[in-house]
Amino acid sequence: MSDFIIHVTIMSGLYALLALSLNLQAGLGGLMNFGQIALFACGTYGAAIAFHFDFGAVSGFVLAVLAAALLGWAFASVGRNLQADYWGIVTLALAEVIRIIATNEDWLTGGAQGIGGIPPLYAGLDGQTRQLVILATVLLLVLAAGLFCRHLIGGRYGLSIKIMREEPQLAASLGYDTIALKRQLMAVSSVLAAVSGFLFAHYVSFVGPEQIDSSETFLIWAMIVVGGLGNNAGAIVGAFLLQFTFAFIPFVKDWIGLPSEYVAAGRLLLTGGGLIAFILFRQSGIVPERVGGRRYV
Amino acid sequence: MSDSVLAIEGVAKSFGANQVLANVCFSIRKGEIVGLLGPNGCGKSTLLNLISGVFPADAGTLAFQGENMTGQSMDHIARRGLVRTFQLPSMPRRMTVAELLHGAAARGAGFGSLFRRDASEMAEIDGLLDELALSHVRYLPAASLSGGQKKLLSIALALRASPRMICLDEPTAGVHPNLRHHMVGLLRRINASGITLLIVEHDMHFIRELCSRCVVMDRGAVIADCKPSELTSNEQVVEAYLGNARQKRAMA
Repeated sequence: MSDFIIHVTIMSGLYALLALSLNLQAGLGGLMNFGQIALFACGTYGAAIAFHFDFGAVSGFVLAVLAAALLGWAFASVGRNLQADYWGIVTLALAEVIRIIATNEDWLTGGAQGIGGIPPLYAGLDGQTRQLVILATVLLLVLAAGLFCRHLIGGRYGLSIKIMREEPQLAASLGYDTIALKRQLMAVSSVLAAVSGFLFAHYVSFVGPEQIDSSETFLIWAMIVVGGLGNNAGAIVGAFLLQFTFAFIPFVKDWIGLPSEYVAAGRLLLTGGGLIAFILFRQSGIVPERVGGRRYV
Repeated sequence: MSDSVLAIEGVAKSFGANQVLANVCFSIRKGEIVGLLGPNGCGKSTLLNLISGVFPADAGTLAFQGENMTGQSMDHIARRGLVRTFQLPSMPRRMTVAELLHGAAARGAGFGSLFRRDASEMAEIDGLLDELALSHVRYLPAASLSGGQKKLLSIALALRASPRMICLDEPTAGVHPNLRHHMVGLLRRINASGITLLIVEHDMHFIRELCSRCVVMDRGAVIADCKPSELTSNEQVVEAYLGNARQKRAMA
């Protein structure tokens, strides 16, 4: 049981990194990115491709981060003349294009079979010790990412992004290059998503296209909406809450006595239902965005 | 002309078949307060939008401090020191007045400012809030301010962008008369600190009190460029403003 809880916590941490990244884009910047999973894919496939071609884990990490930053930059560039909702559709489409490429370019990505046997993290350690060290690493990274995001949102840079988010014309009239701001924000937040993907690939030792299905993007969206759009703590709370809820659905199923095919349906029901419930009854989420930071009081 | 801050030469703009501006020429010298007048639909706001780079001109050139700004983006023009306010300022809902004022200084607020603290700016912002009688609303969301307060706030925001020149789009519209008087004093002080002002305005008293020069437009062209005191003796100006009234009287 404790192994299981450690595993769920690690997965929650990896999702928390993704949620923090999406929160920077959507919560702070108002960028409706529906292709978040493609940035995660840069991380997983960066690790997998580096392993596949024997580049080593360090170059895998560099590859993952660079690819994600570049893709984030490209996302923002594509959207520069589009309204937020149309841009969201474009990001969704681009993420699907990347998934389809990953499914079909066998020589590079292993195709539908994916790439397996990626060396696990801390291979020298064994059993539960290894799991605990991975857990500590992931939690430390979530903490560091959370502090970084807090600094970003609370400082002058965050204020300029907020002006851009709410009143783009006002931002431009004050001298802000709104396209440059979007590109920077996308590039930086993409790196967080890539770190999560890179760790995930080495944690589960397998990378495949089914891991980057667009439904994953909406799971991350559900996390930040439930947690509180625009609040870093909210993103982390949302990620842990949803992951733990999902993890315990099978137990609830046994307890009620439902057949196992209801597990997947239960997850979908909870994601969709939770999303709708929060949008209807508590739009600001569990931990709402704070207006008027301590620094400016 | 060597001391001109803003030079507008032969500027034209059409929206489809509707020619809004045709061959507009005038220039503004450093330190002037110029009023831009004209009946509704004469092209004042379009001209302001061209000057500030909201959209490009079809023809002609716009030069600011000797640099050709024709076709430049709004943010580029603002960074060069030509800042504008809007007729109906729209303010963020999820930012307080204080936050907005902190964020308004674009210079040095880029990604490089990530680790910079800004306590030193508090004094400047306090001073601005005092001057504009906005101190009591500093912790409120900027969007919750009244129309008049938003007008004042937009002047404060423009000042935070370290401008050389500010274009104000109807600064007194919707502002209480008491505050209007206060605004004259404020704009004079801003001007005295070396900032050139171009003011689009309908209120004649305000213009007379404040401006050293008036540019009057009608149907997309400049019809007068004179002192405010000479306006009533200019036949074209009287015609543009009162023409309708006369026609109505004739028809009655």
